[in-house]
Amino acid sequence: MDNEKLLAALKTLEPQISVRENADRLAVTVPCERLGAFMSKLKLENALRFDILYAHTAIDWVAENRFELIYILSSLEHGHSLMVCVSIPRDAPVAPSVSSIWRIAEWQEREVYDMFGVLYRDHPDLRRLLLEDDWQGFPLRKDYKDDFMLEKPQ
Amino acid sequence: MGLITEKLPLYLDPVPGSSWFLGKLDEVINWSRANSLWPLTFGTSCCAIEVMMAAGASRHDVARFGAEVARPSPRQADLLVVAGTIVKRMAPRLRTLYEQMAEPRYVIATGSCVISGGPFIYHSYSTLRGLDGVVPVDVYVPGCPPRPEAYFYGILTLQKLIKEGETVRRPGERRKPVLAALPAGMTVDQIQEEMRSLLVTEKNSGDRRNG
Ligand code: SF4
Repeated sequence: MDNEKLLAALKTLEPQISVRENADRLAVTVPCERLGAFMSKLKLENALRFDILYAHTAIDWVAENRFELIYILSSLEHGHSLMVCVSIPRDAPVAPSVSSIWRIAEWQEREVYDMFGVLYRDHPDLRRLLLEDDWQGFPLRKDYKDDFMLEKPQ
Repeated sequence: MGLITEKLPLYLDPVPGSSWFLGKLDEVINWSRANSLWPLTFGTSCCAIEVMMAAGASRHDVARFGAEVARPSPRQADLLVVAGTIVKRMAPRLRTLYEQMAEPRYVIATGSCVISGGPFIYHSYSTLRGLDGVVPVDVYVPGCPPRPEAYFYGILTLQKLIKEGETVRRPGERRKPVLAALPAGMTVDQIQEEMRSLLVTEKNSGDRRNG
């Protein structure tokens, strides 16, 4: 499906989505409470069939006090791809887990938890993935500091 | 080796002319060590592509310097080539590998990451700023990444260091680490010319020894 058709199909699926600018492919923003239902429809709908979650990451918009979660989906069957974005508040970073839809999300969400401290509801095993288990803080947050880190001299 | 390095100087020292003999013995041992460096390649990021893959492939061909037998096992290696960013969690593993290597062992650190932290020196929560806190380094090869020529220059520098060592009398003595930087403004032609001449002298002195 090309981007316009895809967008139309998504709009009928979920009227509350909006198009996100500045992306290298079709990108839509979904309200957080609609995410779980929207994602499972994306996978199960025959015309869409997004069967791969390529990547999942987050962006720390510290000035706007929010995290933006990014999901990059792709369909092997139809050959189209899509970026789904969700904004969650920075001081209460909770999002629904999609690991029951795509199994790989389990580790990807663990990594985002590790780096940004986003908490996933209904995640089977939310532990740190890359850093040591006793690590304090979440290093990819823009305001992260520790004793080891060197500040750039002005 | 134990017999030669531990007992031989003791027996030979009273004999006149023995230091000449020990010197010759040193030369032979050092020559063979310097020309058969078997690297344990420890490539963790981009430098590995240049230093291990490009340098080992046919265009640059590290086999000319006798350092092509890359070993994935520390027990069979005597040169540890650290190419790439070393993070805090990797450092203990690197130390373990170094300790598993048999003496004599040498370490070449390639790239600015292992020299100082390189591009990750500021605002990094995990990158080590320099390898020297983890393992003792013999030769530093600067660059981000160093070209294969620069790596060869590092190997040749290490060979020079090894050949200067007093293997029989003072085995295992570590020399001061050196920075093997190519002089600024050098062209590829000059590098190739220098390498060619180095290889020729190497060959001639080898012939002299054999003949
Ligand atoms: S020195 Fe440069 S090329 Fe080498 S590992 Fe570091 S960043 Fe990569």
